[in-house]
Amino acid sequence: MKRIIRNVAVIGSGVMGSRIACHFANIGVKVLLLDIAPNKLTEVEEAKGLTLEHPAVKNRIVNDALQTAIKSNPAPLYSSKFASRISTGNLTDDISKIKDADWIIEVVTERLDIKQKVFESVEKYRKAGTIVTTNTSGIPIKLLIEGRSEDFVKNFCGTHFFNPPRYLKLLEIIPSEKTDPTLVSFLSDYGQRFLGKIVVPCKDTPAFIANRIGVYSIQALFHLVKEMGLRVEEVDKLTGPVLGRPKSATFRTCDVVGLDTLVHVANGVKANCPNDEANAAFAIPDFVQKMVDNNQLGDKTKGGFYKKIRDEKGVSKILALNLTTGEYEDQQKVKFGTLEAAKLVDDLGARIPLLYGGKDKAGEFFKKSFLSLFAYVSHRIPEISDSISAIDAAMKAGFGWAMGPFEYWEKIGVKKVLADAKEAGVTIAPWVEKMIASGNESFYELRDGKQYCYDIIKGEKIALEVNDRMIVLSNFADDSIVWKNKNVIVRHIGDGILTCSWNTKMNTIGSEVIQGLHKAMDIAEAGYKGLVLYNDSENFSAGANVGLIFMLAADMDYEELDVAVRAFQTTTMRLRTCSIPVIAAPHALTLGGSCELSMHCDKVVAHAELYMGLVEFGVGLIPGGGGTKEFALRCSDEMKEGDLRINTFRKRFLTVGQAKVSTSAQEAFEHGYLREGIDEIVVSRELQLARAKEAALELYEKGYVAPQPRKDITILGQEGLGIVYVGANSMFSGNYISEHDQYISEKLGFAMAGGDLSQPQQVSEQYLLDLERKAFLELCTKKKTLERMQSLLTTGKILRN
Amino acid sequence: MNAYIIGGYRTAVGKAPRGFYKFIRPDELGAKVIQRLVADFPQLDSNRIDDIIVGNATPEAEQGLNIGRMISLMGLDTVKVPGMTVNRYCSSGLETIAIAAAKIHAGISDCIIAGGVETMSPIPFGGWRIVPHPKVAQEHPDWYWNMGLTAEAVAREFNVARDDQDAFALESHKRAVAAIEGGKFKDEIVPIEVTEIFLDKNEKRQERKYTVDTDEGPRKDTNPEALAKLKPVFDAKGSVTAGNSSQTSDGAAFVMVVSERMLKELNVQPIARLMSYHVSGLEPRIMGVGPIYAIPGALERAGLKQSDIHLFELNEAFASQSLAVVRELGLDPSLVNVNGGAIALGHPLGCTGAKLTVQMMNELKRRNQKYGVVTMCVGTGQGAAGVFEML
Repeated sequence: MKRIIRNVAVIGSGVMGSRIACHFANIGVKVLLLDIAPNKLTEVEEAKGLTLEHPAVKNRIVNDALQTAIKSNPAPLYSSKFASRISTGNLTDDISKIKDADWIIEVVTERLDIKQKVFESVEKYRKAGTIVTTNTSGIPIKLLIEGRSEDFVKNFCGTHFFNPPRYLKLLEIIPSEKTDPTLVSFLSDYGQRFLGKIVVPCKDTPAFIANRIGVYSIQALFHLVKEMGLRVEEVDKLTGPVLGRPKSATFRTCDVVGLDTLVHVANGVKANCPNDEANAAFAIPDFVQKMVDNNQLGDKTKGGFYKKIRDEKGVSKILALNLTTGEYEDQQKVKFGTLEAAKLVDDLGARIPLLYGGKDKAGEFFKKSFLSLFAYVSHRIPEISDSISAIDAAMKAGFGWAMGPFEYWEKIGVKKVLADAKEAGVTIAPWVEKMIASGNESFYELRDGKQYCYDIIKGEKIALEVNDRMIVLSNFADDSIVWKNKNVIVRHIGDGILTCSWNTKMNTIGSEVIQGLHKAMDIAEAGYKGLVLYNDSENFSAGANVGLIFMLAADMDYEELDVAVRAFQTTTMRLRTCSIPVIAAPHALTLGGSCELSMHCDKVVAHAELYMGLVEFGVGLIPGGGGTKEFALRCSDEMKEGDLRINTFRKRFLTVGQAKVSTSAQEAFEHGYLREGIDEIVVSRELQLARAKEAALELYEKGYVAPQPRKDITILGQEGLGIVYVGANSMFSGNYISEHDQYISEKLGFAMAGGDLSQPQQVSEQYLLDLERKAFLELCTKKKTLERMQSLLTTGKILRN
Repeated sequence: MNAYIIGGYRTAVGKAPRGFYKFIRPDELGAKVIQRLVADFPQLDSNRIDDIIVGNATPEAEQGLNIGRMISLMGLDTVKVPGMTVNRYCSSGLETIAIAAAKIHAGISDCIIAGGVETMSPIPFGGWRIVPHPKVAQEHPDWYWNMGLTAEAVAREFNVARDDQDAFALESHKRAVAAIEGGKFKDEIVPIEVTEIFLDKNEKRQERKYTVDTDEGPRKDTNPEALAKLKPVFDAKGSVTAGNSSQTSDGAAFVMVVSERMLKELNVQPIARLMSYHVSGLEPRIMGVGPIYAIPGALERAGLKQSDIHLFELNEAFASQSLAVVRELGLDPSLVNVNGGAIALGHPLGCTGAKLTVQMMNELKRRNQKYGVVTMCVGTGQGAAGVFEML
């Protein structure tokens, strides 16, 4: 049966329910969000003389919850206008509307009796064949289907999203024994392709995969921290970015999630997994229980492991809980030799063994916590999953770890860990010894462009199944590389399509990258069908290498600077005019120069999580690589006969002038960085490269002729200048921008207006590029611009001087 | 020849852009006031009206196409009465009365309807297409400043504290609410019927009619705490807030000005006369204190002293400029905007001069007093003042 999802009903509008609803709205699905009708009036409602029967009262719970979600940060919606795709209702009046739903997702309170009651009424109104899933994080699926019809049971399973569902990529799918296997494969595909998730099939065991291991890891830390006498802020320093994990690390994450939630899951595992060898670790330590009793649950109670206060001067600061005294104290500077040493190592894979082998207290901490984690996960196979890679995938996608437990282990050395465990009296599951005995000294292996992983049931490494629509750059063998330099790799990914990827700090663009881009175009023009700009780092790129510009500007080597800016402009223009189609496939941060690169490609295949912007103002500059010209060009293309051109111009000017960064690819369209009808969004990061490749091939196949440099760009000249000067001065006079901002705005406006020509008229791209470059170079002679660049380079902070 | 005001009306003032006149155009609003005005003089043949002079600060879009002539065509049952549009920003509605009086004084007219109309709902402040001169914009950006920035400059340069501005705003609301509750505006307001045509939930065309006869702006619930909480809107470090600035508004007001000959012919009693009118220029940066120069100028021409004046109607664009004017000239606050000002009642730019004239004539009549001044600050550095004498 072919399933199509047009309408989704989400029952339960709590933190998860309303955000799941938002994510479905993000991808264009019509959502019905339902919750119970209140049984008590609020004071305001009473004062207004409303009754419980009034529609505004009846939907109050669901409407309030949805509004809270929409306003929350980070935003659950790609664009606030998508909120209109969600309609709300209450379970008393509107439950019958679920008959129109193709998928009904239950997200109500974690109580079996309540969920069963909900499913009873769902059964009454759903049409046969409709998918019903539960977002439970702990209740066994088999209990939830008790008493339900055959059709219901067949079409039912668990779909466990992680908070926040737009951003955390894990979707655990938990079928019952009676779930139709085609439903699982449908949801796996849908979860990836439509919702952009990493889908991990789970067994119906308590807390499934990610929470079982994640909560174990936190619980184990709770005990270890007490044992080793570590401070809250120390643990967070040790378990955050240094391990490739989120900055919120351990305790800050607890505050965000809520200690009560964690305790709830831990208690659940403790009670339901009596045979878990680490059952004792799930016991709640006294200091945690005390916090729960004191209602120190985290952000929701305005204080957990951390507490934000205002000091006597009104300056806000964050105190940390002293786990021994139970008092909040000023955070102390965290200093460990091991951390200092690790700072020098950028590569996470190389850093992990260094941390693990540290000889100080930090090293001891890493060793102890890693050993207990490794032991724990080794024992969970095959209990919670048969697959090593599924466990790694779940931890990465669900908890934001850069590596899964087995990947960490492998970096330290599988055998070394075994030996250390023995010495420390930690028991690792016997299958690991067996694996080594069978000649497999690692869990993973890359062979012939495929990733293999050890399968403990088969006792050998088997190729990981990859969705045939997925292209994984890191899986390609070296013979796919057609050219490389220090920072850039040009690779043939099949079917005549090349990728150009670069890897620098924050993926900034310097001369090596420029060289690589030209080389990629040379090679592609000589014998390939198309080129995709893509990389698999955390961000696409933070922009041009400011350090380079700063050096030339500080040396007052303006000639060399002119050459450098010209080179960047030539590169972006060549991306557009070279004889093969060029696709940009950006994701996450795509700022400044990399935004300019993307804007000049034939097409952008953007990941939905795209944070794109021309942010040059922050370093005292205007876009100089064709970005300013491109905005003038797009502004010209937007103007229709009879339009108020000045308003179109003002809008474009403000986007760059306010250095607007999109919070999603959708918003990048709204800001004008992406083009309607040309550029497109892919929700799945894993499928993005495949789609980009396909797009390049499509352009090639339909007969690609490169565009000529334009000569028909309408600029406003003096008509546009006045408003620029007045606007910039008003913002400065109103203390919203600095005097230097005003100066930069005037330069930007001048370049975008096409200079001070008397009449609006048509000009060429090159004329605009020259204006833009001149303004850029003039700004480089200003002391305040240099100070801004210096601030970014030395402190990483934007200076608004 | 003397010029006499023999009648005057205004609409209630609506909030812009989402107030009760959202569904009516300025030309209609103006036409309805004129119809009400001429209805008081059945003995007057419409064809004898020499001109309709309409003040308007943004004469474009709905207010374009010489709205003065359109109002004449739409409001009167004849094509023979011409119409013109006059723009001196916020004093437009007073300027037209001065022009009417001057034409009559000069003996070239006998009967003119003068006033102003402004709907800020459909048209953004400053108009749709703002194209400043680039050279001037660089050399004198403050000539193009938004009015809020000038209010900040006045607050700074004339030391008007935030607290004082908020207190002034609160008093404006109190006085306006008291005036409305006391029925003081009842007789001068022309009730306007508004029709909204819209689609209901099922996209079925619906009509809704309602009548507007009470000013929409004044708030009973305003209090010092609420005003103090508001953030400055024009200057991040400033003191001018949405609460101590005048409101953007929609409204229309007109008076009928006639010659002595026409007065006799119609056999009516005059209400008042415009004794003098004076406009002066100053630095655009501090346009808010324009009345400091305009009032003495007008008084001098009228041969009166400040102490002779019984009432002042000040346009109250901002509390900061109002207070600066009151303090600099030493006006008695109890005589200024006795029924509230634009912070509460709204400031439909081009209409304001005529609206304040109508309001003041009625209040002087109630008080049985003689002299009143209508005055305003005017964008790009001007001040205007007119001295009226009740007859």
